[in-house]
Amino acid sequence: MASTHILSAYDEELQYLTRRISEMGGLAEQMCTDAVRALVNSDSALAQKVIADDVGLDQSEREIQEKAIITIARRQPVAADLREIVGSLRIAADLERVGDLGKNTAKRVIAVQGGVPRKLARGLEHLSDLALVQLKEVLDVYVSRSVEKAEAIRLRDEEIDAMYTSLFRELLTYMMEDPRNITTCTHLLFCAKNIERIGDHATNIAETIYYMTTGAQPEGERPKDDTSNTLGAANS
Amino acid sequence: MVSLEKTAPQQANDRAKIEIKNLNFYYGESKALKNISLQLPERSVTAFIGPSGCGKSTLLRVLNRIYELYPKQRAEGEVLVDGQNILDRNQDLNLLRTKVGMVFQKPTPFPMSIYENISFGIKLYENLNKSDMDERVEAALRRAALWNEVKDKLNASGLSLSGGQQQRLCIARTVAVKPEIILLDEPASALDPLSTAKIEELIDELRADYTIVIVTHNMQQAARVSRQTAFMYLGELVEFDETAKIFTSPQEKRTQDYVTGRFG
Repeated sequence: MASTHILSAYDEELQYLTRRISEMGGLAEQMCTDAVRALVNSDSALAQKVIADDVGLDQSEREIQEKAIITIARRQPVAADLREIVGSLRIAADLERVGDLGKNTAKRVIAVQGGVPRKLARGLEHLSDLALVQLKEVLDVYVSRSVEKAEAIRLRDEEIDAMYTSLFRELLTYMMEDPRNITTCTHLLFCAKNIERIGDHATNIAETIYYMTTGAQPEGERPKDDTSNTLGAANS
Repeated sequence: MVSLEKTAPQQANDRAKIEIKNLNFYYGESKALKNISLQLPERSVTAFIGPSGCGKSTLLRVLNRIYELYPKQRAEGEVLVDGQNILDRNQDLNLLRTKVGMVFQKPTPFPMSIYENISFGIKLYENLNKSDMDERVEAALRRAALWNEVKDKLNASGLSLSGGQQQRLCIARTVAVKPEIILLDEPASALDPLSTAKIEELIDELRADYTIVIVTHNMQQAARVSRQTAFMYLGELVEFDETAKIFTSPQEKRTQDYVTGRFG
């Protein structure tokens, strides 16, 4: 928003929300990167750090929520301001979930004691690279408010879905090859799902930014390529 | 307070009660309204908002030609009420003003009893016997949600009422002569929040039977009571749309800046 309010305190309240959301985004992104690194390197110290970081992320979400509610009560925001504040509530909730997914991945590091087979690790890293690029870019769009880029991010979630489906298939194969892999692979399956969900939250955030900026909902269904729900042992 | 359930699904009756076409208005040499065109639907509340001097009160004052009480003020263009141009030279002004009632910013009760405040206007147009008149006065006071507060002191002076009650008395007086359109010029700006809420509740009830046009400086009030909102600036109509649209995603930057408190 280029122009400023007559009441400068109102601008400061809106800027506070924007700044805190960006901070949350940075932290959530770091947590997810660390969680995947901890997983592939069996680094339990790093995993513990991720778990501890989540406390701060949850606290930030609560603070953003309180500030947003106070701003609504005191300023009776309308139009773009109202969309901005409601949007920041939604984005904060999405980022808090992203942090939870990172934390859940980190918690599994301890369970996956034997280490992650190299091939699977590469698959997970690739999936997480895709998801984290989405998250990073959507956080940049939150700052730039580029409607075109928000739309592009929304449409790109398809790649993550496809990658997740292929990883799902690979994990099933490992489990069928040797039942001793089942414990590790089940945990890795949850980790893969967590990472895939991060992509979904990035997409949600892109849609929220689109609405905040234009006042309209993005048009059309976004493409989905997660077909893992139809995969069984027989056709994997 | 006006509840959301009541305000949301207003009976959609989109027949234009008032149709303003290419209206220009002058105070002497200065042009106060610039080529305004808009249609106000029947039995619906329309709000005019905009900064001071934008022409919203001027536009309201054209709708019952009350500006003619002042010299050097003139309107050009057409204002059709039920298809008939009220700016026509042959328009009967008294008739027009019974059809188009008006309530002002400051309560203006006549210095007479509460009862006479209501009966005075009726007597100008109708010859009623005592019991019919009593009925009409009661009905008008009930309509304005004032009856229960004044029924035991109908002979007390209208000036003895509180500001909020006086304003409702003025609305009762307007309703008593059975108008079709009610013009409200900042009807609550001199009232406390509770009296304001009562006036807004009243507007919400009256819209079932009347076409209501309200001018207000209070944007939240426009957002609460109206179904459509016109934003005016420097004598021009900048944007006219559903109120929900104006206050969530206005199309014009100037509207956006005004409703969010960025200029005005």
